[in-house]
Amino acid sequence: MLIKIQIIVGVLSMVLLWITFELIRKKRLREEYAILWLFTGIAVFLFSLWPEFLLSQFFVRITGIFYLSAVVLIAFFFLLLIVFHFSVVISKLTGQNKDLAQRYALLELEFKELSRRCLPSDRIPL
Amino acid sequence: MENGQNILVIIPAYNEEGSVGKVVEEIHTHLPQVEVLVVSDGSTDRTSERARARGATVLELPFNLGIGGAMQAGYQYACQRDYDIAIQVDADGQHDPKEIVKLLRSLEEKMIDVAMGSRFLGTSEFKSSLMRRMGIFIFSRVISMIVGQKITDPTSGFRAASRKAIQLFAFNYPQDYPEPEAVVLLHQCRLKMAEVPVGMSERYSGESSITKIRSVYYMVKVLLAIFVDCFKKPPLLRQEGERC
Repeated sequence: MLIKIQIIVGVLSMVLLWITFELIRKKRLREEYAILWLFTGIAVFLFSLWPEFLLSQFFVRITGIFYLSAVVLIAFFFLLLIVFHFSVVISKLTGQNKDLAQRYALLELEFKELSRRCLPSDRIPL
Repeated sequence: MENGQNILVIIPAYNEEGSVGKVVEEIHTHLPQVEVLVVSDGSTDRTSERARARGATVLELPFNLGIGGAMQAGYQYACQRDYDIAIQVDADGQHDPKEIVKLLRSLEEKMIDVAMGSRFLGTSEFKSSLMRRMGIFIFSRVISMIVGQKITDPTSGFRAASRKAIQLFAFNYPQDYPEPEAVVLLHQCRLKMAEVPVGMSERYSGESSITKIRSVYYMVKVLLAIFVDCFKKPPLLRQEGERC
């Protein structure tokens, strides 16, 4: 029973690692996300190779849950970190996006005023 | 205005083609010496054209930022062009341009940074749903407690801001529920504010952005936002003369 789960988890983690590497290679994933995903993949992979891994024993002892549940718990913890990281990034991007929109609008208005003043009237854009 | 101050009226508008022209026109009739800036918050209708046709300057945001982002863009414009006073007026026509003079007078006489029009001070009869009034009552209590000053109408978007407040708002303006949060922000930055009784009328057109069903949800969110604001570090005030 345990060996079956080990194989499934091992294959899944290798697929995850492979996808991460591919995305990094094609520059579709920024380094800061890549590192988190790589760690997730490696952690899960270690579990599949070595169920008596120190940390898993520790989790089993304090929670009394079974091997697979421990894996799920670790994976869940990493996912939580990633999602939290995303919230921070999205907040930052939203702010920058707003600043850009405002600055763009102000510059556009200024540009229109300037061209109205400088260009002959038949060449005003818009 | 009498002593040569530059005054800008900022009107944030999102798809308000039905009313924005009338509002701009009324402001020009009552206060011929002020300039009007309409901030079109990514409008997809003819808001910008209507406003321009009535002689307003139009600042067009490339997409919808929400009322907070639009208001801030207006304050950035006021800050860059060195206006002494900025007045924010809603595009839907619920704020009477005749009352702007009251805000200006209060700003000057009381030596404050922000004058806020209140529907609930004085004699003005303001009819609105029970839900809405209850919500405003709770906000009013909470915000009065935080700022240590009685604020009867914290959701009012009818305000006049001094140069100092313009500079603050240009760099730092709350995004989600700007009116109540701005009161807290002003308090954190130790700017002085006062309320002025004004009459408000029915909106000319369009729907209020707050419907009955959503009002409770809205209230909880605003209270949460204010609660979070209390933990934020107050922004540093810029020095006069610094570039906007």
